[in-house]
Amino acid sequence: MAIKRREFLGHMALGSAVLTMPAFLQGCGVQNATAVSQATPENPFMTWFGVDQATAARVMSELTARGADASDLYFQHSRSNSLRLEDGIVSSASSGIQQGVGLRVVIGEQTGYAFTEDLTMPSMLAAARTASAIASGSAVAAPQAFNPQGTGDLYTTTVPWSDVGIDQKLPVLKFVEEKAKAMDPAIDKVAVYWSDADERVMIATLDGKLVTDHRPMTRLTVVVTAKRDGEVQTGYSNIAAREEFDWYSEERILTMVKEAVDRTMIQFEAIRPPAGEMPVILASGASGILLHEAIGHGMEADFNRKGTSIYSDMIGKKVAEPFVTVVDQASIPRERGALNYDDEGNKAGRTVMVENGILKSYLHDQISAKQYGLGPTGSGRRQSYKYSPMPRMSCTFMEDGPHTKEEIIAAVDHGIICETYTNGQVQIGAGDYTFYVKNGWLVEKGKITAPIKDVNIIGNGPESLKRITMVANDARLDTGGWTCGKNGQSVPVSQGIPTVLVSNMTVGGENVS
Amino acid sequence: MSADLQNRAAQAVEMAKAAGADDAWATASQGRDVEFEFRDGSLEKVKDTTSRSLDIQIYADDRYSNHQTTDLSPDRLEGFIAEAVAITRALEPDEHRQLTPAELFSGRPTDDLDLVDSAVADISRDQRLAWCESLDRVATDHERVISATAGVYDGTLNSASASSNGFVGSHAQTYCWYGSNITLRDEGEKRASGGWYAGGQHVDALPAPSDVARIGLDRALARLGSEKGPTVKTAMLVDAQAAGSLIGRLLRPATARSVQQGQSFWTDLVGTRAFSEKLTIVDDPLIPRGFGSRHFDSEGISARYLPIVENGVVRNLYVDTYYGRKAGMKPTTGSASNRVIGLGDHTLAALLKEVGNGVYVTSWLGGNADSTTGDFSLGLRGHMIENGKIGRPVGEMNVTGNLKDLFSQLELVGNDVHPYSQTLSPSLVFGGVDFSGA
Repeated sequence: MAIKRREFLGHMALGSAVLTMPAFLQGCGVQNATAVSQATPENPFMTWFGVDQATAARVMSELTARGADASDLYFQHSRSNSLRLEDGIVSSASSGIQQGVGLRVVIGEQTGYAFTEDLTMPSMLAAARTASAIASGSAVAAPQAFNPQGTGDLYTTTVPWSDVGIDQKLPVLKFVEEKAKAMDPAIDKVAVYWSDADERVMIATLDGKLVTDHRPMTRLTVVVTAKRDGEVQTGYSNIAAREEFDWYSEERILTMVKEAVDRTMIQFEAIRPPAGEMPVILASGASGILLHEAIGHGMEADFNRKGTSIYSDMIGKKVAEPFVTVVDQASIPRERGALNYDDEGNKAGRTVMVENGILKSYLHDQISAKQYGLGPTGSGRRQSYKYSPMPRMSCTFMEDGPHTKEEIIAAVDHGIICETYTNGQVQIGAGDYTFYVKNGWLVEKGKITAPIKDVNIIGNGPESLKRITMVANDARLDTGGWTCGKNGQSVPVSQGIPTVLVSNMTVGGENVS
Repeated sequence: MSADLQNRAAQAVEMAKAAGADDAWATASQGRDVEFEFRDGSLEKVKDTTSRSLDIQIYADDRYSNHQTTDLSPDRLEGFIAEAVAITRALEPDEHRQLTPAELFSGRPTDDLDLVDSAVADISRDQRLAWCESLDRVATDHERVISATAGVYDGTLNSASASSNGFVGSHAQTYCWYGSNITLRDEGEKRASGGWYAGGQHVDALPAPSDVARIGLDRALARLGSEKGPTVKTAMLVDAQAAGSLIGRLLRPATARSVQQGQSFWTDLVGTRAFSEKLTIVDDPLIPRGFGSRHFDSEGISARYLPIVENGVVRNLYVDTYYGRKAGMKPTTGSASNRVIGLGDHTLAALLKEVGNGVYVTSWLGGNADSTTGDFSLGLRGHMIENGKIGRPVGEMNVTGNLKDLFSQLELVGNDVHPYSQTLSPSLVFGGVDFSGA
């Protein structure tokens, strides 16, 4: 029931979107996880349910019996596993199977949607009739056969997660705990969370496409609690990708563990910065959260076709200095936000949102692309078969600029560097956005002087873009497992950025005079 | 419906036992959800769905795991559960992992919580459309409106649980919500937006759609011309709706799990005066038509009235059976029901007058808190309070501090509860708070 409620609250948060790290970091408890036996076949719909071309065609025909500009069947089978280590033992596992088909009819800007978890012909036909009720025209000709599209190669795996047993995963969790405890005597508790998932989708569209995609995902998180002189501090780190078991090399794991320990121990020294407006340096990597909130959401075309985004009338205008280029790209191999095809069956690719300072393109789904008279950008995504798709980000980043990190730090007289984050949010209409800085540094007279922690930063999207005065040449994508929430739907995303200087932002802080 | 689900849960427990589990707990759920979204004069989206799932927790050889599936075909379900038992056996033993002791099932209340309105299942398409049109009309009549989206969401949720040590119980509730989000043309490229929703289990208890839309429009209008607020230390008046989410942040680490894991500023606070004496919080699962009302929690523990904070003194934490056992704490419940904040006697107008000058918070934007230390920093939108009255709209501001300190600085409590929430809070006034802005 708790889940229902949260989904609902998501609906009400229209016009606002949030980006978060895993929910358990906010104390909610971890969901899902494990594996062995019962290997899922490559195409469970054909193998398990006899959903062949003829069945899909029959359901599509019912779905479009009252008319349609577009329609699709989104079959999904997702198997997820998780493990949890606390107090030295791996004593909790979870697993989940989500299986169903979502049926959608689109007429102009109108959408009819239904889904069923019972993949029998009578249930699918009933769902098709429910979804088609939004339409009141005459039937369109549905394809008799669907044309299979080539499978993508962005995240092919040699060993699917269904073939990786707990006996292989358990030592990884133990290793993380052992290494974390060994790194500092002050470390009191270590918790380790593992998750993996195999998701398979099959999308059949009214224009006759048949797309299949196998989407693996994994994430490893370590949470560290340290005690010193009666004071307690908690920190964490995680890594995530569309990868397989072999990806977890000792070096990769140790880098993550060291990050978590360093982020925890530095908090014993860290202060709150003074409050107010100041220059803010965003460190490379996770600071891509700025792009996600300050511009990415505002560029999703559903907000723009409705005129509700602050960017609605700004295409072709100068929004930033000429050295600022911002891209959303799903075609980056193995990234958490990567996709071969979007959830409407369109090839996912690369969309340049800001090119050399000029606002270039929104992120489109089919509905908005049609309204703007453009081709789709492959940005239609959905959380699962339970939801209709909408424009979403994938991997959002800024390209390299002409400056260096050293030049940027030297240029700041009094400001801060932001390094790690827990979450962000944006208000689409006003353009106000925020992100929460977990760790960072104070900069005084061009030098790093003290660690800081726990401050929220707030700004206005278009104003912040204008205030990006320096961009370094050290762009990288963050390795953390980000999840983006919009209108009640969560999807995995990636983000990245080089070191940049924003000349003025509002920093939450203490010591207000 | 309930008997079917109850059978399904009992069968799953049997399957788990047959597959070698020592104990098992299963919950079968089914729900119907309907969504209508209506934008700028026409229907934009209709979603009508029926969903189902089975959750099962397995206990075997002092080991534990939990699993969920939406694939309920009998042969595959049996395989899924057998695999779940195998997964459990591959874990490490943990003596604290045990099924909820049966004595915690006893004394289950039988109060009529009035959570089901049979009229919800009969809401017609025409009715939903009429509500949408009524919501839409209020918003689109205003000259500054760029876009307004009205929504109607209704449905029914049923679930039933069974365990190998004799638990049997079911829960049913209906819901119906409607409201709208409105975007207005502001200065330059800026849009002012706001919205409001009302909801409940019972259709006839809802305010008229036009009244709901009017509140949404007023909230959007109030944002017009919003500017960045000042950097200042002053009083903070948090409106009843925003106060609920602040209370949520305060209570998040008030659990045995957080305390046992060393991640809670509530550690060692039970029995001490940790907060202002103006603060009283009770977890009350038995409020008729309450959004969090129930007869038992997710572990089967019978519902009871649970004081969390009384006049600033911490009385209880949220304690589930597992972390309770680990931490040596008696279980209360691991999950919140209705969180009821003790009322003061001030109306909102009286609170504004008492404050005189300060910041009135109407919504939060992002931000977070560290559960271990209580340090927080939140983005906000609202108004300046000038001479006891609501003044100019402000945004692009943060409030920063420590949650434990903040709730020690709680100075006044209103009597104006926000009703559409599981957290029933009035407006709250805090003294000497750090704001950052221009």
